Amino acid sequence: MPEHLTIGLDKVIHQKARLGVMSILAAADPVDFNELKRRLKMTDGNLSTHLGLLEREGYIEIEKTFVQKKPRTRCRLTTKGRAAFQAYVERLEAVIHALPPETKSDGKRRPT
Amino acid sequence: MTSDERREALENIALIKNLMMETREEMSRSRGGWIAVIWGVYCLLGIGGSKLLMPPGYLEGIWWFALTAPAMLATILVARGMAKRQPPGQRRHTFHWFIKFWAPMLILAYTLCMFAAFLPGISVEYITVFILLVISTAYLIIGLNFAPEMTVMGGTGLAASILTAIFFLDISDVILSLLFGIGLIITGYVLNRKPRE
Repeated sequence: MPEHLTIGLDKVIHQKARLGVMSILAAADPVDFNELKRRLKMTDGNLSTHLGLLEREGYIEIEKTFVQKKPRTRCRLTTKGRAAFQAYVERLEAVIHALPPETKSDGKRRPT
Repeated sequence: MTSDERREALENIALIKNLMMETREEMSRSRGGWIAVIWGVYCLLGIGGSKLLMPPGYLEGIWWFALTAPAMLATILVARGMAKRQPPGQRRHTFHWFIKFWAPMLILAYTLCMFAAFLPGISVEYITVFILLVISTAYLIIGLNFAPEMTVMGGTGLAASILTAIFFLDISDVILSLLFGIGLIITGYVLNRKPRE
């Protein structure tokens, strides 16, 4: 999406993998790392990178515990993250409504 | 502004909607299966105890009542566990929906049982049929609105309740308790299965 259209869209959320993480966490609280990995079909390393970025932004909390001597990582949205996600969805909907229904790939409107 | 940009925006919205819907569905299924298992075991223990262990009469009612208390408690504990996994706003909505739906159903079942127990024109043998007619109707409503697999359970329950009441009323409690007990345990097993990609 070009720059002028992404104005107001949160760059941290506006990426498929992170958008997936945020969407799942918005519907469930908390979610296991392995569940996120399965749902989003991502590798451990890739998912960890995206989760780390979201955590640094303060959008999610990552809780690491041990259950029966096995490590367990759970993620949840923070209040800031939930507000950011809500704002992103609203902005995205506004962008969709702002676009004309039928446009050519060169940006010119099709004759009706 | 190009159609590609519009498509990307629409794809993102669709992705959000799909993932949120799938997540909610998986959550309601995952632990919800245990509630079905609890009530399936309740049906089997109830009918087993009342037919094999108890002499006929009022003790049968006490046995069922004694089983109901731990089953209700276990259901509340499982439901609380499920609610804890939901975002705060949705938690209250789910709880309200649960109460608003099941409370009138339970009042209806209880009223029909009271009719069967005290009205001379209705045999007490209809109690099990009445309870299961109400529960089957509830399953049908939930199935038609939220979970298609429960529609089958509700429809089967309604048909079985009606047929048993017509043809095997004297042993309807045994037939229906076994049918529902085993049916609920199987339903619980199916709901608890981890979805595989």
